[in-house]
Amino acid sequence: MFKYTVKRLLQSVVTVLIVVTIVFLLLRLLPTDYYFTEDQLMKLSDEQRHDQLQAAGLLDPMPTQLFRFYGQLLRGDFGQSRRIQNGVNVTALIADKFAISMKLGIISLGISLVVGVTIGIIQARHKDRIADHIGTAYTIFVNAVPPLVSYSLILIFGSLVLGLPSMYSTRNPGPSSILPIVCLSMGSIAYYALWTRRYMIDEINKDYIKLARVKGLSTKSIMVRHVLRNAFVPLAQYIPASLMLTISGSLLVERFFSVPGMGPLLTDSINRYDTSVVQALVILYSGLSILGVFFGDILMMIVDPRIKLADKGGAR
Amino acid sequence: MNKTISKALALALAAAMALTGCTSSGDKPAADNNQGNGTTTDSTATENKGGDKTTASKNEIKDLVISKVASRELETFNILYSQRAEDFENLTNLYDGLLEVTPKGELAPAIATEWGTEDGGLTWTFKLRNDAKWVNMNGEVMADCNAQDFATGLEWVLNYHKNSSSNTSMPIEMIKGAKEYYEYTKELPEAEAFALTAGEGSKFRELVGLATPDDYTVVYTCLIEKPYFDTLAPYVCLYPASQALIDQLGVEGFKSMNNTDMWYNGCYTMTSYIQGNEKIFTKNPEYWDKNCKLFDTVTIKMVESSDVAYQLYQAGEIDYVALSESNVKTISGDPNHQYHDYMANSLLSKYSYQFHWNYNKMKKDGTLDTNWNTAIANEAFRLSLRYGLDIKEYYKRTNTLDPLSCENNFYTMKGLVYTTDGKDYVDLVKEKIGLGNANGETMVRLDKTKAEEYKKQAIEELTALGVTFPIEFDYYILASSQTSLDSANVLKNCFESSLGSDYVQLNINTYVSSQNKEVRDPHLQSFVINGWGADYGDPQNYLGQETYGNDNAWYSTAYSNINDVQETEATKALLDQYKEFTKMVEEADKITDNTDARYNAYAEAEAYMLQHGLVLPCNYSMGFCLTKYNIHSTMNAMFGACNDKIKNWETSTEAYTAEEIAAFKAAKEAK
Repeated sequence: MFKYTVKRLLQSVVTVLIVVTIVFLLLRLLPTDYYFTEDQLMKLSDEQRHDQLQAAGLLDPMPTQLFRFYGQLLRGDFGQSRRIQNGVNVTALIADKFAISMKLGIISLGISLVVGVTIGIIQARHKDRIADHIGTAYTIFVNAVPPLVSYSLILIFGSLVLGLPSMYSTRNPGPSSILPIVCLSMGSIAYYALWTRRYMIDEINKDYIKLARVKGLSTKSIMVRHVLRNAFVPLAQYIPASLMLTISGSLLVERFFSVPGMGPLLTDSINRYDTSVVQALVILYSGLSILGVFFGDILMMIVDPRIKLADKGGAR
Repeated sequence: MNKTISKALALALAAAMALTGCTSSGDKPAADNNQGNGTTTDSTATENKGGDKTTASKNEIKDLVISKVASRELETFNILYSQRAEDFENLTNLYDGLLEVTPKGELAPAIATEWGTEDGGLTWTFKLRNDAKWVNMNGEVMADCNAQDFATGLEWVLNYHKNSSSNTSMPIEMIKGAKEYYEYTKELPEAEAFALTAGEGSKFRELVGLATPDDYTVVYTCLIEKPYFDTLAPYVCLYPASQALIDQLGVEGFKSMNNTDMWYNGCYTMTSYIQGNEKIFTKNPEYWDKNCKLFDTVTIKMVESSDVAYQLYQAGEIDYVALSESNVKTISGDPNHQYHDYMANSLLSKYSYQFHWNYNKMKKDGTLDTNWNTAIANEAFRLSLRYGLDIKEYYKRTNTLDPLSCENNFYTMKGLVYTTDGKDYVDLVKEKIGLGNANGETMVRLDKTKAEEYKKQAIEELTALGVTFPIEFDYYILASSQTSLDSANVLKNCFESSLGSDYVQLNINTYVSSQNKEVRDPHLQSFVINGWGADYGDPQNYLGQETYGNDNAWYSTAYSNINDVQETEATKALLDQYKEFTKMVEEADKITDNTDARYNAYAEAEAYMLQHGLVLPCNYSMGFCLTKYNIHSTMNAMFGACNDKIKNWETSTEAYTAEEIAAFKAAKEAK
C-alpha cells in the first residue's frame, strides 16, 4: 500500500507538471496585445508597450520564461495578479475565495448525497411505480432544462415568492446561501439518484440477492446491508474528488448569485490575461483532481475490501 | 406507466409555468416592493404608487443600492494607475481631484476652489481649499490634503517604475518636462526610481513644470499654451497621492493597496469590498463639502447580467436598472405592464461612434486590396454612403423605441464644449455643414437625390479606374458573440437595401479573440465602428486622433491607416484632403487666446472632414432604465472621469416615471 501510494503521488507530481507546462506555453502563444487593455493600447506608445512586455519578461526566449516559472514554483511564488486585483499576491487572492466556494460546495454535496441516494433507493425499491416515475421525471427535468433557465426560475420563485435574498451576501451568509445551495444541489441530487437507482437495480437482479431472499432475509436487510453497500462502491469512488473540487466552485451558480467564490475566477483570469492567476488555478485544480481520484481509489478499497489496487492487474 | 409519467411531467410543467407567471404584469411595481434599502425620512412613502412626486420627493433614499455587471469589477484601488472606466466608477467616489463637473458638464470646484490662467494657457494656477483631509477607511483623519500631494501624484504617474507608464500620455503631451522626467526614471534602476519623491529640490521639481508656492497653491506649466488644460483636472492623471501613505505602505504596497489600508479624500470610504459580490461606500465624515447631498451608504452589487439586475429591481433590492433590449420590448409592448410608465431614456453615454474607413486595406494573403482601397479613396463613393446609407434599423439595436435618438452626425461628441454664449460646439459644425433639424422620422443627413448623384459619379469614376462592383465591405465581429452577429446582419441589410446590393456588399467576417492582432494589425477590415470618449474638454481630443502624419493620432494609425497610403492617381485627392484637414486642426490648436474663435476653427476642420466623408458618423448610445434616482441630477460631462461620482443625487423611494425623468431632463437643459 505504501509503495503504491508513493508511486501514485510521484505520478501525480509529473502529471501536474505536464499540465502546468502545457498551460504556460499555451498562454505564451496568445498575442501579447492581450496583456493590455483597449485603453492601454490607445494611450501607451509602442515603445511603452514594448518596455512593459520586456519588464514582465514576456519578450524573453520561451525556455528562459519557462525555467524562470519553474524556479518561482519551487520557491512557492505564484506571482501577483495583474488584472483581477492589481498587485495582490495570487495566493492571497485565492485564499479569500476558496473558503466560500468550499463551504457552499460541501453543504451542497452533503445534501446531494443524502437526498440523491435516498431518492435513488426509493426509486429502486419501488421500481416502475409512482415514486420511481417522479424521481425519473425530476432527473429528466434537471438534465433537460438549461441550468440558467432553472436557476432563473429558482431565483424568481425564491426571491419573489419566498422572500429569500436573491444574491449571496457575506453579511447575511445563512439565508443568502439558500438559493445558491439549492441550485448547486439540484443537478447533483439528480446524478446521485440516477446512479444509485441504476446500480441498486443491477444488484437486486443478481443471484446472491435471490439467494438472500430464499434464505429468508428481510427486504430492509437485503436493501441496506447488501444491495446499497455494493451499489455504493462505484459512487464512492467519486466522492473524494467531488469533495475536493468543491474548492473550485461553480462558474454558473456563483456568477448567477454573485457568490464571491472561485467559480468565475479561472474564466475571468483567462479573459483578462492574468497569467499568474491562471497558472496558479491550473496547478490547484489539476492537483486536486489527481488527489481526488487517488483518494477515491482508497475509499473504494475501504468500502469494498475485495478491491486490491496494489495487486498486479488490480490497479486502474 | 405512461399515464403516470405524463402526470408527473404535467405537474412539473405546471410548476414551471406558475413560476414564470411570477413575472407577469399583474404584480406590483418594485416601487411598492421596496425591501432592505431606501431607508426613508418620511413614513408616508409607502402610501405612494409612483405617481405623486410632490410627496415622494420628500422620501429620499438614504442608503442607495445599485448593481453593476460582474465584468465591470474593480481591478485596482490606485486611481493613478487605472485607465479603466470600470475603476473610475468606484474610485472617483473615494478620491477627489482638483476639479469635478456639474450635471451639465461644466467644471466645478473640488479640492481646488479657484483656478485660471493669465497667459493664454501656458501656466495654470489652482488655489486649493485648506479643509480637505486624507482619512482612513473608518473616517479617521490621517493628514491634510494639500498642494504637495498633487506633486506626489504627478511624480507617481510619471515615474516609469512606479506606474508602468499608465496615464502618462496626457501629462507628457501637455506638461513641461513631463516627458524628460519619465525618460529619466526609465533609465534608473527600480530601487532608485522607487526612492524618488516630489519634494522641494527633487529631480521631479527640477524637471517638471509643477510648482507649489505654498501649501494650497499648485501651478502647472504647459509645453505650449493649453487653454483647455483645466478640463484635464477632473481626469485621474492629475489626482493627488499622499507621500506619507506611500512611505507607510512602501511603493509595492501602494500599488496593491486595498480599501482597508488606503487613504481617502473623496466623498465616501469603502467600508466593505467583497470582490465579485458587493462593495459598500460609507459617507466620509471628514469630507470637505459639508453642504453636498450624500447617501449614508451606497451598496454596489455585482450581478451576472442585466437580466439578473432586472430581477433584483423587481424584488426591490436595487434602485436602478439598465434594461436589456428584450426587457424593453416586453415592457413597451404591454400597456398594462407594471413598469410601462416607468421606463425612461437613460443618459447618453459620452462616446461618439464612427465608421472608421480603412484606406490601406489588405487581403488575407497580405497583398493590397486594390479594389477596396481605390473605391474608398474616391470622394463620390464616400459621399454616396454619407447621403445614402440609412442605418435607422441599426439604431434599433441600441434603442428599439426611439432609434433616432441614437443618430449621430458629428465626429465630436455633442455636449463636449460650449461657446461663451452657450452654443454647443457641434451646433457650429451643424451650421457649417448645413444639416437640417431632426424630424423624428428619418436620419437628417440622408438625401436621396445627392446619394444617387454621388453613386452615379462614383460608378463612372471607379469603373474608369478598373474597380469592379459591388464594392465589398469586410466587417469583422467577435466569433462567439450572437449579439454582434445579430447587429451585423442588421447592418448588412442596411447597407444593401439603402444603397443596392449591386453597388455595395457587406461581408460579415469573424475574429476569434483579438481584433487588434487578427484584424487591425493585418489591415483586414474595410471599416470599424468605434466610439471615442474624451479625456479632456477640447475638440482637439477628438480631431487630433484623425490627423495625418501624426504617430500619436490613434485613429489614423490604428484604424484608417492613412499614413500608409501611397500617393497615386486614385489616392492623391484623399491624401490632399487629409493634409488639409490636418492643417486646419493644427491652425485651430494654435488659437489659444479666444475660445470661441478656437472652437469655430475646429468646427471648420470637422465640417471639412465630414463633408469630404473622411469618416462617417454612426451612432450615440442611449438605452432605457428604471430608476429611483434622478439621472439628470448626476455629474455628466462628455470628458473626464467624474460622471459616476455619487454626489448631490436626487432620489425617491418611489420609482420615477418616464414623464418625470423627461421633465428633469428638460429642466436641466433649460438651466
